[in-house]
Amino acid sequence: MDLNFTKEQENFQIEVRSFLSDNLEPQVVEKVKNGIPITKEDSERWHQKLNEKGWLAGTWPKQYGGQEWDVVEKFIFEEECGSAGAPRIVPFGVGMLAPVLMKFGSQEQRDYWLPRMLTGEDWWCQGYSEPGSGSDLASLKTSAVRDGDHYIVNGQKTWTTFAQHANMIFCLVRTSTEGKPQEGISFILIDMNSPGIEVRPIITLDGSHEVNEIFFSDVKVPAKNLVGEENKGWTYAKYLLTHERTGNANVAVSKRKIQKLKKLADDAKKNEQPLSNDPMFASRLAQIEIDLQNLEITNLRTLASVENGEAPGAESSIIKILGSEIEQDIDNLTRKSLGKRAFVNEPDALSSGYNGAEVVPKAAAYASGKYFNHRKKSIYAGSNEIQKNIISKLMLNL
Amino acid sequence: MDFKPSPERQILFDTLKKYFEKEYSLSDRNIAAHSDLGYSKKAWEAMRDLGILESLIDPELDGFGGTALDISTVFEALGRGLVVEPFLEVGILAAKVLSKGNDVQKSLVKKILKNECLPILAHSETDTEYSKSFVETKLSVEADGSYKISGAKRMIKHAAEATHFLVTCRNTGDASSEAGISIACIPTDREGIKIDSFATIDGGRVSDLTFSNVSISSEELVGELGMSYSIVSDAIDTGILAICSEALGIMERIKELTLEYLKTRKQFGVPIGKFQAIQHRMAQLLVEIEQARSSVINATIYFDDETEKEKTISAAKFSIGKIGTLVAEESIQLHGGMGMTWEYDLGHYAKRLVLIDHEFGDEDFHLQKYISL
Repeated sequence: MDLNFTKEQENFQIEVRSFLSDNLEPQVVEKVKNGIPITKEDSERWHQKLNEKGWLAGTWPKQYGGQEWDVVEKFIFEEECGSAGAPRIVPFGVGMLAPVLMKFGSQEQRDYWLPRMLTGEDWWCQGYSEPGSGSDLASLKTSAVRDGDHYIVNGQKTWTTFAQHANMIFCLVRTSTEGKPQEGISFILIDMNSPGIEVRPIITLDGSHEVNEIFFSDVKVPAKNLVGEENKGWTYAKYLLTHERTGNANVAVSKRKIQKLKKLADDAKKNEQPLSNDPMFASRLAQIEIDLQNLEITNLRTLASVENGEAPGAESSIIKILGSEIEQDIDNLTRKSLGKRAFVNEPDALSSGYNGAEVVPKAAAYASGKYFNHRKKSIYAGSNEIQKNIISKLMLNL
Repeated sequence: MDFKPSPERQILFDTLKKYFEKEYSLSDRNIAAHSDLGYSKKAWEAMRDLGILESLIDPELDGFGGTALDISTVFEALGRGLVVEPFLEVGILAAKVLSKGNDVQKSLVKKILKNECLPILAHSETDTEYSKSFVETKLSVEADGSYKISGAKRMIKHAAEATHFLVTCRNTGDASSEAGISIACIPTDREGIKIDSFATIDGGRVSDLTFSNVSISSEELVGELGMSYSIVSDAIDTGILAICSEALGIMERIKELTLEYLKTRKQFGVPIGKFQAIQHRMAQLLVEIEQARSSVINATIYFDDETEKEKTISAAKFSIGKIGTLVAEESIQLHGGMGMTWEYDLGHYAKRLVLIDHEFGDEDFHLQKYISL
């Protein structure tokens, strides 16, 4: 057993840390650390900084502008970003579509789309879920019918994160109704500015706008935008989902949030004592800390097995369940720790245009909002029930 | 990074696992565990021949192991086998204490390895007080410089067969103070010792001990007078690591038994493991067991780190207590009526797993301790 990073890995960690401290914008970090949503422009500026350093897509091959990071380097980078309060890299292009194009796309597609992800010319979103196809994704109905050099797309996608920012969407569409549902799905890239596309916002219970519905009415898509072969899209989608489900441990982010929560509890009073001295509160907090400490080791065990050449299987499902539940537990306790202040909902309180009353403590601006917003964590990226199905099938062989 | 055990430890684990599967039948174990002796002398001797005790003891005392990883590896295997013989009491608690003693006491460790003695640590005094420093048994200094001890010890496992007791006692300080604790190593036939033994729910026998003006000489103290808390504390911490690892082995075996049952037991024409209500409970158990394993790995990693040791030990004991009870209760539920029978293996594993939470501090005790550190 050897839990230490190698000398090279340690040096890399130091390099990442110093890059972050030199390049992160304090006002953006303050938003992130107080759980407040950042703007599209905040993300774009951060992406650009990372791209100048060559770290926007660190796991990519060098020929496409990446660093060929292995799982441990990726882990180190993400953990350092998490601790520092860096904005999360918007994953749809560099983290999700790119691996699919590299494995299944044509050379022409790679040469055209990959550089544009790095420069930020394209902002991608993901067209998977439909009103009737959530966990049962393979039942999707949005159709693409070949018509000469084009496909004609009709149907509806939903829960599309950041569709309001995106100029491109990668979609799963039905190109055949023969055979099993999985066998008639294709993977296609669609310009969001095409005639016939309408984006409608879905406002979530916390009042924020992250997700959208998209309606497709006779949308003309060039046939060269098909990725791989027609009707093989399910294979590509599954490949993408394995990328989506890694990196869900969020240990560093959760650690940072616990530190923040401790500070809040030191400053809050209950029975004329700091809330942190309250035995009920201390017990809840300690249990979360221990769960997180255990998850950190569980996550490292998975990383080590990948580093040593074993394929990550349903372990990523274990991590997804634990990572989402622990983060939800922290958000829950943060909300509780604010007492009556938890009624406040001023998510713009840290934005430049805000001219309302100052919210103290700052974390109260969106703590309850964040708590409700993060109920999504056990629902998205394959609900935790779906993760249990995967564990049952792949690990328990039931 | 690499979480795999070294090849030597993997071989040791595999050898023990195979041995228990072939030679340590649960039905024989249950008869011995609930007999008047509480374990099988024959099994004890056969297992000693495998070198299990040596693997728990430092090379300088004729062993060939004794590191946190060795102990964790061996006890996980012992847990899988549901071994009731006194490896924890003799190989860990007594041997750890004696290894800090004088030459005569150290030589007792070597005698343990030759099966010439069976020393037992007599420390715990009240049923619900888990603090490592809680000692009320009185040590008084006589006019001639010799000592006498008086007091009572409770729930001392495998004490009835012991050759020596390692009795914690105090000459100064409050009941929970770390200063003032001494340890006396005395033969069990010394005058003034009374032993009352009981059967247990999970196998093995326990005893309440009474010491009435028992005479001891100064050479029989382990360590300095009043300065032996750290010796007891270290032995108990090692014991916690051992039983947390034992619990892991038990959980893995319970997982296997339960999965096998879910795949073979049919209702409504299909194996019950096809039902999603069952699958999700089982998947949750797997997630929890992986977390339990991580907690023990964490405690093993920091076992020799003075600043992190106590915190990671308490985190592990808390995790094992919480998850162990869950795994025991859920596995019985998933087995239906079969889980309720004496004849089937599962219940015996479940009993031991639950009762491990009552040893060296339960989940509440260790959560409070974690918070205080």
